[in-house]
Order: sequence, then structure tokens, then C-alpha cells
Amino acid sequence: MESISYQRFPKVKIREMKDDYLKFELRETDASMANALRRVMIAEVPTIAIDLVEIEVNSSVLNDEFIAHRLGLIPLTSERAMGMRFSRDCDACDGDGQCEYCSVEFHLRAKCMTDQTLDVTSKDLYSSDHTVTPVDFSDPSDPNDPFENTETQRGVIIVKLRRGQELRLRAIARKGIGKDHAKWSPAATVTFMYEPDIHINEDLMETLSLEEKISWIESSPTKVFDIDNVTQQVVVVDPEAYTYDDEVIKKAEAMGKPGLVDIRAKEDSFIFTVESTGAVKASQLVLNAIEILKQKLDAVRLSDDTVEADDQFGELGVHMRGG
Amino acid sequence: MEEKKGGKMPGELKELEELVRHHIDSFDYMVDRGLEIMLDNIKPDVRSRTNRMRLLPFECRQAKTSYTGKFEADVCFQYDGRPAIREKYNFGQFPIMLKSKLCHLRSADPQKLVSLKEEASEVGGCVREYESSLTDHSSVTVRLYYLRNGSARVGFWVRGREYLLPVGIVLKALVETTDREIYENLTCYYDEKYEKVKGAVGSQLAGERAKIILDEVRVASLFTQDDCLQHIGTHNFINISIAVHFVGGTKVDSILYAGEHFQPVVDELENKTSYTVYVAEALLFCRSDFCARQPRFLAKSGNLTSRALDDHLSQAESLEEAQAFDCVEEDKLLTKLILFELYEKLEEWLRKAKTLIQEEITKNNTFNFLAVGDVRKVVDKNSSVTISSALETMLRSGRLVTQTGLDLQQLLTGTQYVTQTLIRIDMKSSDMRAGYTVQAERLNYLRFLSFFRAVHRGASFAGGRTTSVRKLLPESWGFLCPVHTPDGEPCGLLNHMTCSCRVTSYFDSQGAVKDFFDIRKSILGVLTSLGMISSLPKLVQAGPPKVLSVLLDGRVVGSVPSSEIEKVVAHLRRLKVSAASVIPDDLEVGHVPLSIGGAYPGLYIFTHPSRFIRPVRNISIPRKEDQDIELIGPFEQVDGGNGGRSDAFPATHEEIHPTNMLSLVANLTPWSDHNQSPRNMYQCQMAKQTMAFSLQSLRFRADQKMYHLQTPQTPIVRTGAYTKYSVDEHPTGTNAIVAVLAYTGYDMEDAMILNKSSVDRGMFHGQIYQTETIDLSDEGSRSDRSHRRFRRSNTDRSSHAFIDSDGLPYVGQMIHPNEPYCSIYNDITNTSKPKYRKGSEPVFVDYVAVDTKSKKHLQKISLYTTGGKMRCMPLSSVFIICLWIVTPSSSYVLEGILSVSLRHAGEILVVALTNNTVVNIRFRHPRNPIIGDKFSSRHGQKGVCSQLWPDIDMPFSGVTGMRPDLIINPHAFPSRMTIAMLLESLAAKGGSLNGNFVDATPFSSSVRVANAGEAKTESESLVDELGKMLKSKGFNHHGVEVLYSGVYGTELTCEIFIGPVYYQRLRHMVSDKFQVRSTGPVDQITRQPIKGRKHGGGIRFGEMERDSMLAHGAAYLLHDRLHTCSDYHIADVCSLCGSILTTHIQPQRRIVRDIGGLPPVKGPKKVVCHACQTSKGMETVAMPYVFRFLAAELAAMNIKMTLQLNDGA
Repeated sequence: MESISYQRFPKVKIREMKDDYLKFELRETDASMANALRRVMIAEVPTIAIDLVEIEVNSSVLNDEFIAHRLGLIPLTSERAMGMRFSRDCDACDGDGQCEYCSVEFHLRAKCMTDQTLDVTSKDLYSSDHTVTPVDFSDPSDPNDPFENTETQRGVIIVKLRRGQELRLRAIARKGIGKDHAKWSPAATVTFMYEPDIHINEDLMETLSLEEKISWIESSPTKVFDIDNVTQQVVVVDPEAYTYDDEVIKKAEAMGKPGLVDIRAKEDSFIFTVESTGAVKASQLVLNAIEILKQKLDAVRLSDDTVEADDQFGELGVHMRGG
Repeated sequence: MEEKKGGKMPGELKELEELVRHHIDSFDYMVDRGLEIMLDNIKPDVRSRTNRMRLLPFECRQAKTSYTGKFEADVCFQYDGRPAIREKYNFGQFPIMLKSKLCHLRSADPQKLVSLKEEASEVGGCVREYESSLTDHSSVTVRLYYLRNGSARVGFWVRGREYLLPVGIVLKALVETTDREIYENLTCYYDEKYEKVKGAVGSQLAGERAKIILDEVRVASLFTQDDCLQHIGTHNFINISIAVHFVGGTKVDSILYAGEHFQPVVDELENKTSYTVYVAEALLFCRSDFCARQPRFLAKSGNLTSRALDDHLSQAESLEEAQAFDCVEEDKLLTKLILFELYEKLEEWLRKAKTLIQEEITKNNTFNFLAVGDVRKVVDKNSSVTISSALETMLRSGRLVTQTGLDLQQLLTGTQYVTQTLIRIDMKSSDMRAGYTVQAERLNYLRFLSFFRAVHRGASFAGGRTTSVRKLLPESWGFLCPVHTPDGEPCGLLNHMTCSCRVTSYFDSQGAVKDFFDIRKSILGVLTSLGMISSLPKLVQAGPPKVLSVLLDGRVVGSVPSSEIEKVVAHLRRLKVSAASVIPDDLEVGHVPLSIGGAYPGLYIFTHPSRFIRPVRNISIPRKEDQDIELIGPFEQVDGGNGGRSDAFPATHEEIHPTNMLSLVANLTPWSDHNQSPRNMYQCQMAKQTMAFSLQSLRFRADQKMYHLQTPQTPIVRTGAYTKYSVDEHPTGTNAIVAVLAYTGYDMEDAMILNKSSVDRGMFHGQIYQTETIDLSDEGSRSDRSHRRFRRSNTDRSSHAFIDSDGLPYVGQMIHPNEPYCSIYNDITNTSKPKYRKGSEPVFVDYVAVDTKSKKHLQKISLYTTGGKMRCMPLSSVFIICLWIVTPSSSYVLEGILSVSLRHAGEILVVALTNNTVVNIRFRHPRNPIIGDKFSSRHGQKGVCSQLWPDIDMPFSGVTGMRPDLIINPHAFPSRMTIAMLLESLAAKGGSLNGNFVDATPFSSSVRVANAGEAKTESESLVDELGKMLKSKGFNHHGVEVLYSGVYGTELTCEIFIGPVYYQRLRHMVSDKFQVRSTGPVDQITRQPIKGRKHGGGIRFGEMERDSMLAHGAAYLLHDRLHTCSDYHIADVCSLCGSILTTHIQPQRRIVRDIGGLPPVKGPKKVVCHACQTSKGMETVAMPYVFRFLAAELAAMNIKMTLQLNDGA
């Protein structure tokens, strides 16, 4: 047992990278690792989000908690978050979360003076720290940007005000993680899929007529297979479009040709899709996640508890070590 | 969304308004005409006039008063034939229905409504904001009881009691007639010629019966009309006042009086007689051996409930059972009741006034009747305002507080199966006085709307064992919803009108009051032109089967030869449908055809208001565009040839759409035709208890309790009713991504798992708004009421964090239980008493409104500012003229006082401080989902949240990365068969992928098939259609997806059904229900924990629980529960005499020995037995305290209980 090493050297290959989107391959590791990475990205990479709201005036139609909740969900640029302290661990302040190490202050003052409805948006939030601001979703480089229109380029709507209504508040943003509250989660979506390994039984496939081939191909809701126009052979065009729905296998069986295709999930190869809320760049999100995963593992490794626990639990310790 | 900012256009709300129109119409009629007619009936002349005041419903709501207008009437005094003196009297306030003619909101468009702080889609229909009427559906009946000996009795109701009169006497008393005429009239339906012919109704027995009836009169030696009237007057009425009426009154009077009670609607005497004869005929026919089955004869059957009688005929007693011949059916709407009540109260008032004046005259000789002032003084002793307060009480409690019974009991008993005795009826009627009004809770919009469509068949049926009343009978089909009724006790008794069902109104389409006399006249004209022989007095008519009698609104107007009848009916229907004719479109043409053993044949035509009608398509007449919609009533429906079961009898009518048979709420269940039927019923109940978006004008409301969903959505899968009735204005739920799988075990037994992150992001967040009204005039003792006001204490600064300088809380403030939130200052004692918040959860102060009703005692007006800016609120109310001038430094009140001032942070900053102040403080309870809260889909699938599961542990889709919001267990489906929920999931998934809504109107597939005919031979199943939509977007045809375990990242072994389903949050929340205690209050006598959640009590650990503990041998636990944690007590017992009651602690002489200022040492207490006079043998024993109580109780009965102690050997 001792001689076998489980050490592996996972490889990452980036396929596509945008500010809020990342697609990469993770190879030579197993599901536990891939899933740990996913879980950390969703729930444990810290960001900054508004956590405490002091409302001075609120004559809007929404009540105080509603507005506070909406403010909390606005993504703030959180590049600094990794270096910040949790306000509960902050030594520099007395826990009211007003120091530069653990918190950022925001102000909002809006009042509608006209007969037109005033949209109060995240752009109206004034930050005390220029590195922590509401995420700007407008992308000047993208010509099809839906936020391009200056009229609507106003960020996330917090509340709408009518004439005479006013909203005035002070908000404190703090560092936190998605486990505590979803507002601190930097990931909109993180998912991975097992890379499929598709083998078409060419001999069996040749026994099918063209119509049969087409109907077989169309049994899959996603475009995995296609017909080569020249050779009229079935080819795999996009293996990753396969959703493991077994539709083609069922179809093959229904056609009386079991084993027409053999699809397996590669146990050690994953394709990740990461979408960020904009709080951190998707690429940074992955790096931060790896960093945190490392910290967590270190914590386990270095903890006195791990050694002590073994003795403490007696026989149970064997189970805990996985023996 | 931007386009719709301005709110709905008036036209879009039309359908919605239509639903409550019958309430408003009925109220309008009451104010327009009803009051006049009612007052006419009171013998002394009184004219009424209702005034209105510029008072808005919103202000009434804030002030917690009724929305009322001034009710004044002119009272005329006439004395000795001198000219009448007219005097105006104020009868107090008269409640006004929202959006009725007297309401300020009558013609307001949505914009206007919003500016008046109302709901943009307000449809009105309620009287007080808090109360509305229950459509109490009952009828005025005159019964004819058939006696075994062949005679019959007429039963009618006077002042809450039923009186029976031999039918012959009544007939003779009503008109001057001869026995011969009566005999001929009674036997006209029998003719030997037609024996055994189809439709023949008589037998030889008819003549004999008529003879018996007449003999009865002769035996009583009553020969003339006068004799009969005398007889009625002297023998039947125990009630003295009525007897006087009969004996002392003239002949005409008594006839009128008899007529009045006898048959309220048919007004001419001749008609009364002919009607009675007619009914008697029908009765005799019923009893004749000819008919095999109970004829379902009802002269009028808009009254659906009267059919309840059908099944009970074969019981016999000396008085044969009842036969309800409803001469008239009337929908008793609330307003009718108000009229009745007013009528009685006014009459009583006048009587009282009369006696007062009479007394005054006899007492005081100088009393001058012509001196208006004097008269007024006397009459004023009899307070006129009591009338309005009585009315108010009636509305609030729904109870009729009346001595005379208002003759209303008959309305309800009319629908009842009456057994032999009168006593029984009286007994029942006593509990039928309650429940006339009902609180229209605004829990959510659907519930609110349902109140206006509800029909209750009377509380008296609820207790009974008979189930036949609860059945959905053929005539109710299409009028009452078969789905929308509660299960359990009120099932089938509390019904709801279908969405197409209307109630005929007093008003025509132009809004003018219908002239029923004219309508009847024109109908008569049409009938005569079609060959009707009109009935004339003293003319003996032939009976069926030769001719059929024609009854118009309960009057026998003539007869039509049976050969012509089909033609007449068809012609009437054609006229009814065509817009041009004078015949109203809501005319009810009930034709009971000739049959063997069937109902009593005839043609029954009804024009009067308050009947149920519904639109159907008449396919028997040539089709022109939109000219084929006919309004039919329940009576037409049964015998009107709606059938079409065979080619020989083709259908004459057709439903417009199958969903017309469902109520509004039942219509909101998507694809309810795919569900097991009870599930649809459950959904109707649950839709009405969802915590939803109840109101858009929430800020301006002061309801006791309001549930509010913070982020509601409109369903992706929706039925046509959603758009038609603007349900999206008040949505009830959220589209949640639902995965059907057994994941953690936390979804067993209808529990469901919510995704914690989804909840974090706002899913199902909500609040409860709760208003507390503090009326200073109700607080404390009467003496110092006028010296109380809101002010905080200046000396006690501890409460300043909670209470503002005006004695009221800060808006936005969080208040924990047992913290003060307002403070009442007493001027005399100079003390202020804070009020403490009760309950178990922290709340926020949402808003504070101060309302001062009285202009007097204006003491101080303090101005309160927040943020240094001031603004005055616009006010519109009669009693208030408010002008404020605000300068930076000071402010002045120019005139009057402020009535309703709203204080919402930053908006209204003015508070008037006076006496007699009513303050509304609205609290906001945050109610975000927690474990134990209840949710349900739209298919009767309810469940309780068992965990808020972390997002990362939820299963996820490898392709999209989606995690479900909600997980339910697959076991929820097989036994419940809610297929529509699966369809909804599929459809919503497809719909959201394509970005459109999916129509899920039930039965639409059958309609489509019928319309398309053979064009589409192979109709696809719904699932295939939805599957295709999914497949085109790259999803599995059946809506399943491959999910990966969130914990391990490995593929779950089977594919999971996942998709969006519209979920509702129900109002049942643990926060309102949890009950837990370790220590707390105990009962005084037994020292055991008290019961009741409200008082901090525990849940009883009862006998059965004890038994199970014993069975488990859990002795220690049992001891802990029943003794240690309950009334554990250590008693001193004297082992010499064995008594626990005679021991007492001997008072110790305190040895005053101060050692260095320390408190004296307590010596050991000495317990002495009072009986043995010694402390020897004193032992301590642990026992339940109730044991001591038992010993004391026994001692009180002279039983001594002795304990024998030993050392537990």
C-alpha cells in the first residue's frame, strides 16, 4: 500500500477566456478534485458585498429590508478581496466594520424632483474606495452590447422613485464567502462535464441506410454526429455536445443495432465552464479558488487536530483515515 | 414594462369588474329605488334622501371607520287631518358600497384610483372595507302541505313563525268566489278524455280532493269571504298586534294584510288566487297516483337549492311533508338584508315616536302638536342614530339582532327539508340569524375576489347528515363551479359561481333601471300574438294536456295550446337573442314539456332580477355573427332541451367554452383536465391561502394583517383566465426550478428542500404587515380618558431610544419583543405609561398614522422633522381643512386640524397631538423562508420546507450548470396523479427556452379537435408537442436531464426530471405556530404548566403519550416528563397521623443578633403537625402538587386521606 503513490500532476488547458467567462480543460485528475474546485469557486472564493445598510431616508415604495437586500446582491469589484480581512477577524477595528482593512463604505443619495420616474441604480452608489465599485457591465468593445445605449447604461436598478420620493443611505461592504450568503458568491455558474469518448462501430454503421443514419443522428437532441457529405459516413462533429442522455444508444437499440456506438465518460478529464458575476475576472476566480483549496488542504495537513484526532477517536480514527 | 407604467386601461379590467357587478348593481338599486320602495311600505310617509360626504375610502380605512354617507329622511306628522308637518331627521350614517353610485370612486379610471390611494384595479363590491356580503342564496316561498286525508294547508311566515291555513279558507278569503268556481279551478287539469295520454296529469281523485278541501271550509261553517277573514284573524295569530290588525281592521285591510304575507311578489289579488289555485292543482297532481316519481315541479327554480327536497318525499306523518313551491326565487344579496333591517328599525322607531307623542299628549294638556320644536323635542328622546348603529352592528357581526325575526327565516328554511313539526323549524331558525355578512379578507387577491363569487346554502345544512344538498345538480351545472368548493364539512354548501355566471340586474345595459312592468306588458303582447289565451277572472281554464298554463313571474297569465307550445318557446328565444326586440336578453323561458310521470307541465317565464344566468351558444337558430349567444337560467337548462344525446333530439344549445363551468380560481390551474379531480379542489383552497402580492396600494392600508410576497412572478405556464381577469396585477407565486428526486432524505413525506442560495437571492421572501390601532378613548378608565395623549416621559430616558418625542415610535425602527413602542401620558397624574411589544419576533415599524376625529381639545401641535425638510401632505376630507405654512424656522397652523397624517420616513413630518386620538402603527414582520414554512405548486401538491440546502451540495447539470431551487420527492406523484404538474414543468422549460409563455387552458385540446374537425386526423398528444419544443433546444424529449451530485461530482445514477414549476408560498409559517417551553407560567391550582401557545404554555404530554412511554419501559423519561418537569413538589408529611394538610411551618422567633452587620443566620425551619402538636415524625416526600390539591379537595368533602410512609422497602 505504502509503495503506491496517488500523486498526479493535473494539467490545465485554457480554451476560451473572457472577462466573465472561462472554458478550460482539466486533465489527469479525478472527480473529487474537479468537484472540489467547483465547490470552492461557488462558495469559498471571497468577494466584497454590501452587508450593512444604514437608511437615513427611504420614502420609496420598497421597504428598508428589500432595498438592503437588493444592495447586497449588487456585485462589487473584488480584486482586493483576497487581501482583505474578514471583519470578524479584523484587529484594526472594533468590529463595526469601518476600517480600510475589512470594509468599504458606500453612500447613496437620490431624490426624484421631476415628473419622470427616476431609476436609482448601482451607478448612484458612491464608494469610499475606488478599487471597490459596483461592477460596470457595459463593454465598449462589444458593438452589440445591450448596455451600449447611454440611456440605459445605468447599471443595476435598485429602486425607482416618483416625484418627491427620496432614498438616502450609507452602506458598508465587507468581505465574505458564498457559503455564508449567496451575495458573496463570485460565480454565476461553474460546471464541469466529463469529456466523452465516442466510438462509432463503423462496420455496424455501414449496415444502415442513409435515411436510417439521418434518423439516428437526429435522435440526439444536440448536434453530436453528422453525415460527411462526401463519404456519407457518420462522423462525430462535436463530442462535447453530448449530454450523456443516452438517446443515440436507445435509438440504436430501437433500430435493432445495439452497440452501434460506444460512449464512455473519461474518468480523468473534465471540461470546465466558469461564468463570473463580474466581481472577479473568471480567470482570477479559478486562480483564487486553487489558492483557497491549497490553503484548506494546508490547514488540514498542518492542523494539530489531524494528529490528535487519530488518538482521540481510537478505533474510529481508522475509519476517519479511510482505512 | 415601461409601456405599462401607467397602469391598466379601463377596458382591460372589464372582465374583472364583471365578476363583482352583481353586488354593486344590487347596492345601486337599493339606493336608487329600494329605499323608496321600502319607505313606502311603512305606513306613515317617510321619504329618504341620502347625502354624501367628501370622504374617501382610504381615509375610512385609516380611521378604522365605515365608509358611510349621511342618511336623512323627512318625517311627516299628521294630526287630525291637518296638513302634514315635514321635518328632517338624521338617521346617522349609511354604509356605502365601494364603486357604487354613491361612491367617489364610481367612475374613476385606474390613474384616478391610484391618486386616491386605491388599487388601480379596484373593482369594489364591498361595503365596509372589511366586510362584504356572502351571496346568501335563498328564496321566498309559500308552501303548500299536502295532508294525508287529501286536503292541503298553506304555510306562510309571519314574524319568524310559520302559520298553516287550510287551503280552502285562503282561497275563499282572497276573493269573493263560490265553491263551484273553486272546484272547477281545482279540477280543471283532469279530463277523462285524456286519460293515459302522454302528458295527462290528472286522475279521478282530483275531484275528490277538491271536494275534501271545500268540505273542510264548510265544516268550519265559513261560507263567505268575511267569515274566512274573521277566521284567519281570530284563530291563527297568537301575536296580539297582528290579531288586532285582523279583527279590528276593515275587510280590505285584512285582505291586504293576508296578501302581504302570503305572497310578497304577486301583487294583484286575482293573480294571487289564480296562483294558489294553480299551485294546488299541481300539488294534487303530485299526490295523485298517476305520477310514479316525485315530480320536480318548481314554479320557479332559479333557486337551485330547493331541489334538496326531491329525495325526501316518501315520509309520511299526519302532516304530509313539504312541497316547496317557490313562487319566487331571490338572490338575497346583502343589500336586501340592509333594506329589511332598515325597514324594521325605522318602523320600530316610528312606532316608538308615536307612543312618545301619545304619552306626551295625555300627560301634558298644553302640548301643541303644531309646534314643531316641541314635537321634535319629544321625538328626539327616541334617538334616531341608533338605526345606523344597529345597521353597522349587523354588518360587522353578520347577525340579525331583532325581536321579530324580520320574516327572514323563511328565506332560509325555504330551501330546507321541512319535517312534521313547526317546533323543529323554529329551533333551526334560531341559529340561522348569523352569517349574513362575511369579512372579505384581503389575504390575497384570489381570496378577496372569491368572497364576491361565493354562494352559501345556509349554515343549517352543515350539521345535517343528509348529503343530497351538497350534490351538484343538473340545474347548477355551469352556474356553480364543481371544483371550487372546500373539502370536509362545508363541501358542497359553500360554492362559487362560475366565471361566466352572472346575476340578473335591476339595470339594463345602459345603466337605467329596468321597467319591469313595461317588460312584462311587452312579453304579454308577444305571447298573445302567438296565440295565448289570457286568463281572465272567473274564467275556468282548461288544464294540461290540452293547454299549458303560462306563468309570468309567478302570475298565471294565460294558457297556450300544447300543440303550439314548441313554436311559442322557439319564437321567444329568437326574440330574446336578437338585440332589437323589447324582450330582455336575460329572460328565462322555462318550458316543462308534457311527459308521463314528469314534472308539472307549463311555461314559466321570468323577468325579475337576481336570477342566475349564463351565456351559451344557441345553435338551433340561424347563425349570425355574435347573435347566437343566449343567456339561460338554471330552470331553462334542465328542461330546455340542452341535451342532444341522440339524432332524434339534436342539441339546441352549446357551451361557448368548457372552462365556463369553472370558477375564476379553478380556471387558474393549468391543464386541470389532466389532474385527478380532488387535487384541483385542493389547489382552489390553497390558491386562496397563498402569501401573495395582495395589494399594490399596500402603503396606504391599515389592515389588521396583510401577507406580502416580496418578489412575485407571473407564471410561464398560464391559462387564459390569467390575462382575462388581470391576475398578473396580483401574482401569487414564483417560477422555481424544481427537480424531482430523492436526494438527501430530507424530501420524504412531502417535505421539500429549498436551495439556500436561491433563498438568499430573494426567492419567496415576504413580509407580514400588521397594524395596531391604539385608540386613546378606549384606553384606561373613563374618568381620565380626556387627559391622555401620546408623549414620552422626560424623566425616564431609557425609552428614548425607542420612542420619539411625540410618544410614538420612529419609523424604520426595529422593535424586539418586550421593548416599548409608544408611550401614553396622563395629564393628571403626570405619568407616562409605555406600551410594550408582545410576540416572539422582532418587527420593524413600517408606518405611523395619526387620526384625530374631534375638533375640540386641540392642545398642541408639534412639528416633527427628519432630515431638516418639511412637506405638507395633501388632504381631502370633509372634517378637515388643513393649511400649513412652513417656513425654515417655524410653522403655523392656519385652520382646523389635521385628520390623517401619514408619517413615512421623510415624507410626512407632521403629527397632530390632541385628545381622542387614534393612532395606527403598522409593523412589518420579515418572513423569509425558514425550515417549516409551507409551499405548494398549483396542483394541490403542498409540502413543508425541511432544509435550506447549500447550493454547492445541490445536484447540478453538467451542460448548463443549473442547480434546482427546490427538490421534491418522486413519491409525490404516483398516488396523486397530478399529471398536469409534470406537463407544467415540461411546458415551462420549453417556454423559458423559447422565451414565451405557454397556454395551458384546460380542455383546449378538445375544443381544438372539435373545431378542426377532420382536418387534423392525427392529433398529437400534448406531451409530444411539448417534447418537440424541448428537443429543438437540445434538451431531452421527456424533460429529464443528467445531473451530477453536488457533493461528489459524479453522475447520478438516473436521469432527473427537472424544470420550472410555479410555486406558491402558503401563509402557514412556523413562526406563527411553533410552541416550545422549558419553564414558564403554571396553573394556579395544580401548579402544572398551562396550555396555549399564546400564553407561553406547553403541549400536553397526555395519556397516550404516557402509554407509549410505559410500553417502552422508559420509566425515567416518564418520571421526568410527568413529574420533574411538571408539578414537582416536596411536601411535609406527618408520619404519625399520615396527613399532608395539617403540617405547617412554625414561625421562628428571630434571634436578633447582628454580627458585624451581616444578616442574621436563618435557623433550620421547624415544621409542626397541627393535629399531633409535635414536629416529631415529620418527613419530606416528593409528590405531584395536584396530589396535595386532591387531599385538600377530599378534606372539603369530609374524607381524610392518610399517608403511610416507609423507607421504600
